[in-house]
Amino acid sequence: MAEEEKQLEEFEQIDFLKDRHVRFFQRTLQVLPERYASLETTRLSIVFFALSGLDVLGSLDVIDKDLIIEWIYSQQVLPTDDKSNLGRCGFRGSSHIGIPYSTKGPGVLHPYDSGHVAMTYTGLCSLLILGDDLSRVNKQGCLAGLRALQLEDGSFYSVPEGSENDIRFIYCAACICFMLDDWSGMNIQKAIEYIRGSLSYDSGFGQGAGRESHGGWTYCAIASLCLMGRLEEALSPRELDRIRRWCIMRQQSGFHGRPNKPVDTCYSFWVGATLELLGVFRYTNFEKNRNFILSTQDRLVGGFAKWPDSHPDPLHAYFGLCGLSLIGEPNLRKVHPALNITQGAFQHLQQLHQTWRSSCGQQH
Amino acid sequence: MHGRVKVKTTAQQEEEKRKEREKKLKIYVAARDACFSKRKEGVCDDEALQLTQQLLSSNPDFATLWNYRREILMHLETVKDRDEMQNIYEAELSFLEACLKVNPKSYGSWHHRGWVSARLPRPDWARELSLCDRCLSLDDRNFHCWDYRRMVVKVSGVPVDQELEFSDRLIGSNFSNYSSWHYRSTLLPLLHPQTPEAGQEPPHASSPRGPQSHRVCEEQLLKEYELVQNAFFTDPNDQSAWFYYRWLLGRAEREETVSCVYVSREDERVAVAFSRPVNICDLPPGTINDVANEHNLTVHWTGSHTHRDCALYTGRVESWCRDTATDQELFRSELSVEKTSVLQSELQSVKQLQELEPLNKWCLLTIILLMRALDPLGYEKETLAHFQTLKQVDSMRSEYYSDLCSKFMIENTILKMEYAEVRVFSITDRNLTSLCHLDQLLLVTHINLSSNRLQRLPPQFAMLQCLEVLEADNNFLENLEGVYHLPRLQEVSLKNNSILSCRCSFRAQISVSSGTPVLGIGSFCDLCSYLAAYK
Repeated sequence: MAEEEKQLEEFEQIDFLKDRHVRFFQRTLQVLPERYASLETTRLSIVFFALSGLDVLGSLDVIDKDLIIEWIYSQQVLPTDDKSNLGRCGFRGSSHIGIPYSTKGPGVLHPYDSGHVAMTYTGLCSLLILGDDLSRVNKQGCLAGLRALQLEDGSFYSVPEGSENDIRFIYCAACICFMLDDWSGMNIQKAIEYIRGSLSYDSGFGQGAGRESHGGWTYCAIASLCLMGRLEEALSPRELDRIRRWCIMRQQSGFHGRPNKPVDTCYSFWVGATLELLGVFRYTNFEKNRNFILSTQDRLVGGFAKWPDSHPDPLHAYFGLCGLSLIGEPNLRKVHPALNITQGAFQHLQQLHQTWRSSCGQQH
Repeated sequence: MHGRVKVKTTAQQEEEKRKEREKKLKIYVAARDACFSKRKEGVCDDEALQLTQQLLSSNPDFATLWNYRREILMHLETVKDRDEMQNIYEAELSFLEACLKVNPKSYGSWHHRGWVSARLPRPDWARELSLCDRCLSLDDRNFHCWDYRRMVVKVSGVPVDQELEFSDRLIGSNFSNYSSWHYRSTLLPLLHPQTPEAGQEPPHASSPRGPQSHRVCEEQLLKEYELVQNAFFTDPNDQSAWFYYRWLLGRAEREETVSCVYVSREDERVAVAFSRPVNICDLPPGTINDVANEHNLTVHWTGSHTHRDCALYTGRVESWCRDTATDQELFRSELSVEKTSVLQSELQSVKQLQELEPLNKWCLLTIILLMRALDPLGYEKETLAHFQTLKQVDSMRSEYYSDLCSKFMIENTILKMEYAEVRVFSITDRNLTSLCHLDQLLLVTHINLSSNRLQRLPPQFAMLQCLEVLEADNNFLENLEGVYHLPRLQEVSLKNNSILSCRCSFRAQISVSSGTPVLGIGSFCDLCSYLAAYK
């Protein structure tokens, strides 16, 4: 009898608290706690989590879209008059370098200012989510800045000054090219070679050749190939089956990113979306997945954490929602599994593409 | 954003913390601004090193500062001598150790350490390996550390067998160490590479580079089997050893091939099935509907350097050319370990374990795999039984296993069809959940999929270009998308499905509503008796 009562109690608690999450993301966009200071240089990506999270919740109306659009454009590194800095163009993570605020060109030459590939990617996504038409995006700059980041082996740096290079930034690059509808930003063939070289002995993908399989990098690999339209060209039917198998085995209740690691809310998206792209997400157990994600929900401040009884953060809050969206949670918008924005934002992008293509050649 | 556990504090403690944070913040901002103005002016001095050190200690993810620091160090290289630089870089390594103690997962810190190690006039690789050892003893799954170790080993030329011993030690002390097994998988092929034999690895000259170097010579393989068996006998529930074992058993890639070329004179049709999706070029002009002539066709698959010929002789109305699945060992070549004796012995071992651990899913999966490799038809009954157990034992993935089992049953049905030399494919009442290997069914004229759990006949169903009779009663089919492009289709039966919509493009009349029989031209009795003859 006591056990039944306990089970009932647990069931009552596992409900989805939409309003809390809306407020969580609203607060994220207003002020971040001090412990996020180390993420200042990547602030635009946190903005993306909040915006896309609100979009998934169908609650973008609670924010001032125009204000945020202006702020995002102020992070664009634009070409100078003489275009000497094209290889450094893109979007910054924030104003931490101290460039004076401006949303229009021409760019100001500063020796240490450059775009960051993940910020260009999340910046463009954010603009799309907010309904912007990308008309103020300097596509020539973004693509030149992207080309400057690709290495001989096909992987990408994150910044032109140099950084670590691996499959994460290939994914960012693929998203950028996809959104700008222009694949001249990268050498696809080399990127595919790097991706294939990252396929590990157990048929997960590592960050690069010889590195351990991981749910996040597997997502980057598969989603990139899907965006490029090369999934079945790059991987044989058997390889795809083995990759499916590795991914399916990641579910424990929720999902973990690597064997023998604890489950973590964000992998409900990273691995879930990969399985969706590979056509086998329907084989996962939705109930256990949902129960785990909701067990990491913060009932007081909203958001989700990576584990139960931990502090929520924007990244896990966003990917928790995406994980729930994949299993069809009511009142959540559908997410495009490869591009990681809502289907609504994706349709807006498709319309932009149609407009660009019909007036071809006018934006370069 | 790493998981932080909730901890309760008093109001006073909170206030004290807040004041401390504000103080730190002021110092941080001042240092940062000073740093940037120095950098802007191109200053590369000791004070700059101090400032960046201060900032990076609290925020090692500030990538721009690492870059500035590298600029400073490179500048110092031009004005100081080797000994001085040795000292400076050694101090740098100590600084980095402190950073890594605080955050052992910072990309910036590890990347910088790699950079410093490469520039040190007298590198101390033993020290670097020892750092890795210590780091891994705290967290043996820290992939930053593993990646760094790989770099150190490569640059310093540590012998592979030494690293293999290292992985021996780690695995020996803890079998459940996935990262160590992974490391081993990268070392083994370097130490004991298998020389490729003719016909084993398809010559993928033009296909993208892949992990085909993951192969090991047989002598070493047998030693590895022993190691792995120790591991999974000790802890059968840990997946590390099972994944490694799966890798050892190997994987043969299916040779890319033109599966089948079929020619029909009366339909003026050529149907070609490929082993994977391809881009097609324009077809040459010509006709084959004249009864008198012989026609020789060749299909070239340029991307895979392969082709297939098919001759349509005078007076013949149809012709085809294909390798049977049996010839290709298509369904048996999932594993690349060739010797039957080895596979048999492995099967025995795993079966022994399964008797001790009847609920262990890895055992069941591995046994199924080995049985399929050894004798798919001979072991069919046992395999189906194991699948039933597997679906109970790992019920979370039961749908996936149903799919896998469906694939197995389709493979066996194809084999049986070929042995009987007929063109009738029938799987009924077998809980089939999905279809595959449709490229092997190009020649099939009659197909019966009744009483299964199919939800769709996918677009690839159009590969059944010779299909005349389709029977798929008692499934859960929702639409007929796979059925619209079958040029020879004459009879269709789809009773008791969930068909919601269809286009009426058949020569036959189709009426659809739940439970209403769907019939086509030709008598249904004829179909039944035809099928009965081939049961």
